[in-house]
Amino acid sequence: MTNLKEKPNPPKLMSELKEQLSPSFDVLLIPLQLEEEAAFLLYLKTAVDGDKLQNMIIKPFFEMKSMQHYASYVQSSPDILEIKSEEKIPLELTKGSVLIAVQHQFFLIDVKKVNTSTVQQTLMEPTVYGPQQALSEDILTNLNIIRHRYKEPTLKIEILELKDKTHNDIAIIYDDQTVKPAILKTIRKRLEGLDSPLIQSAGELQLYLNGKKFTLFPTLMLTERPDRICYNLDAGKVIIMIDGSPHALIAPVVFFDFMVSMEDNYHLFWITSFTLVLRYFGLITCLILPALYVAITSYNPDIFRTELALTVAGSRIGVPYPSFIEVLFMLIFMELLTEASIRLPKAISATATTVGGLILGSAATEAALTSNIMIIIVSAVAISSFVIPINEMSFSIRFCRYILLAFTTFFGTVGFILGFLGILMFLINKESFGEPYLKMYWKSRRSEKGVKSE
Amino acid sequence: MKRRFKSFKVIVVVAIYFSCVSILAGCGFKDIDKRVFVTGIGVDPSEKEKGGYKITLKLSLPVASIKSSTGPNYEYLVYEGETLAEAIRILETHTDKVLEFGHTKMIVINEGLLQENIKDFMDYFVRRSDIQLIAWVAAAKPSAESILRVEPAAESAVSSTLINFFGTSGTDSPFITSTFLYEFRRNMLSDGIDAVVPLVEASEDRKELIVNKSLVVKEETKPLELDAEESKYYNTIVNGMSGFSYKAESDDLKLILNMERTKIHYKIIMVDEKPTSINMNVKMVGVIGQSNKNLSLKDLKEYDQIASKAVKKKIIDFLTTVQKENFDPIGFGLRYRSMVLYNKNTISEWRKAYPDLPIDVSVDVELKGTGAIE
Repeated sequence: MTNLKEKPNPPKLMSELKEQLSPSFDVLLIPLQLEEEAAFLLYLKTAVDGDKLQNMIIKPFFEMKSMQHYASYVQSSPDILEIKSEEKIPLELTKGSVLIAVQHQFFLIDVKKVNTSTVQQTLMEPTVYGPQQALSEDILTNLNIIRHRYKEPTLKIEILELKDKTHNDIAIIYDDQTVKPAILKTIRKRLEGLDSPLIQSAGELQLYLNGKKFTLFPTLMLTERPDRICYNLDAGKVIIMIDGSPHALIAPVVFFDFMVSMEDNYHLFWITSFTLVLRYFGLITCLILPALYVAITSYNPDIFRTELALTVAGSRIGVPYPSFIEVLFMLIFMELLTEASIRLPKAISATATTVGGLILGSAATEAALTSNIMIIIVSAVAISSFVIPINEMSFSIRFCRYILLAFTTFFGTVGFILGFLGILMFLINKESFGEPYLKMYWKSRRSEKGVKSE
Repeated sequence: MKRRFKSFKVIVVVAIYFSCVSILAGCGFKDIDKRVFVTGIGVDPSEKEKGGYKITLKLSLPVASIKSSTGPNYEYLVYEGETLAEAIRILETHTDKVLEFGHTKMIVINEGLLQENIKDFMDYFVRRSDIQLIAWVAAAKPSAESILRVEPAAESAVSSTLINFFGTSGTDSPFITSTFLYEFRRNMLSDGIDAVVPLVEASEDRKELIVNKSLVVKEETKPLELDAEESKYYNTIVNGMSGFSYKAESDDLKLILNMERTKIHYKIIMVDEKPTSINMNVKMVGVIGQSNKNLSLKDLKEYDQIASKAVKKKIIDFLTTVQKENFDPIGFGLRYRSMVLYNKNTISEWRKAYPDLPIDVSVDVELKGTGAIE
């Protein structure tokens, strides 16, 4: 240490920056010194990848013949970032860049460390035959996955930066050939117009992109499946990804998109058709069954067959509350059960379902709090609401059935029909980025895509 | 975030409001267990006052558990009043529950009432919106009340035996005439056709119901009773019903035919728009169900002939019997009316001509087999 020359002074800019970032413990300003020549590094220790820094930046410094060589080495790094203005530098540093000062020149190099790049298993939309891997929480890894699956030069990826405190990157991904320019423009405009202080997940981003305060039906689809992303890219849709979220957003979407499972593409025609019909049946069941029960038992029991009417009447003997309270009571308990099993750790949730579903159900009928038929209806509704492949739509439909139930309770069968019509009209009136929400796509998938072959 | 908290406030208020309101259910909300289902209405002439009616309502009581209940539970409400509406209004005070007529599928009328003033009491059933027009109508002998009160042993917990007799949902026999309320009313009011209703009787021990006769009803006339055989031919001609027992005899051969399909066409032959005769074509397809001799497949054509002849005789017998009594259950008159241009005298001309109109029947029976393996 004795033969060291006196410490060279760091450039003024660097010391100013250090001042600005202090008193954080992890701000480091280190000089690299070899004989006469010196370079300075400024970075945040917790944001950068130490190994990468050592191998890419520090080691070559001592191996290069001259400072000139080192400067050009740094300049040609693939991770170099353009310094747009001095004000932007602290932000880049917090993102994991290192500021290098060589011979009165400044370079910004990205050496960020990402701990979230592990690709996860599909959780929300599992399939039997489809790909089993979902996305990761790192946007670059995700983009890599998409690039890897969709190797078309027309695939375009634009990166925007959020103006909020996370400064997360947002990627807009589309196929140049199939995308509708108008939709792309709207999405860009909405993304630029975002002004909320903290957006941390794709789900949250979706809320702000909606353009409306109160929304019931999702106008963007949240997905974790890379194959769904590619499928939709091909169909001319725009994918939005946010750093730190394992989900991607698809826009625009129509109602029927939510009823498609990726599994449909991997099965034989009749099996797919059958499951699709089954799914719509489930949708209708879970939407109308509780309301229908109230409408029929309390307003128009003549719709039943005589035998069924007598059975229903018989099973309601001793039930103290009117039918709609019975329905509401059971539905709320069912929702609680669902909610509980989602939030609980997996090991406990099985117990919750057993206790809630089996024991509560049979005890409720034993105690004549509800009728047997009610239990059948509630279970049918619960099962059928899980048939909807996209969870968000499932939630929306679950909410809708309470609206229908309220209408039916107040106005009987007519209210039921009106309520259903109302929901239908609401959906028809709805738009997702200029696309009609409940448009019937009678055209074939091929002509919809606008390509000659699949 | 602030924005979202604000909307939470609204949601909380709405949730509290609804949870409070939902507990305050009033008495306007009538649940299924506060209703009692009337499954049958019986109409008899009043015993006390002349021109009045005795109404019997058959109420099906719900059972809590079908598995543990042994038989059906019925309650009967009986009241005599001047009109049907009046009697039923009074009967509403005889039970604690709302009378629900939405499942009234059986209207049983005393045979004696089917002569005069049919319109008078039928009007009530047709006007009430909750009595559906698909209810079955039947005549009862000796009284509607006694028929409704029969509870056959075969009856199960939640079902109504009487209803299963009619239509094709239960037993399916050519002897049983099934008439909907709307059919009955329509045929009774239109010119050129007479309504036919089944006649329900009870067995002597009051444990069984027997439906194999019919009544041809015409206003202001004593109804014509068709016996079992005639009812069968009526049903064959009008509804194309087919069943087991069409008997054919020739010399010493006795055949019972099992018809599978029956097709009937008839035409009113007219000269100068005046009816001159009725031409009926019957085509039947079936197999031989029973025979007193060995049959051979070669002779099938011969059996066809024998069967045709026998069926033809029966049909002509039936048609001339009703014609003699001046009843028209088939609706020849209606057909005639639809064939000619309307004028004031159409129906009176028909009425004049009908009793003496010759009827030609040609029957073509096609047997598919002897019904046995050779």
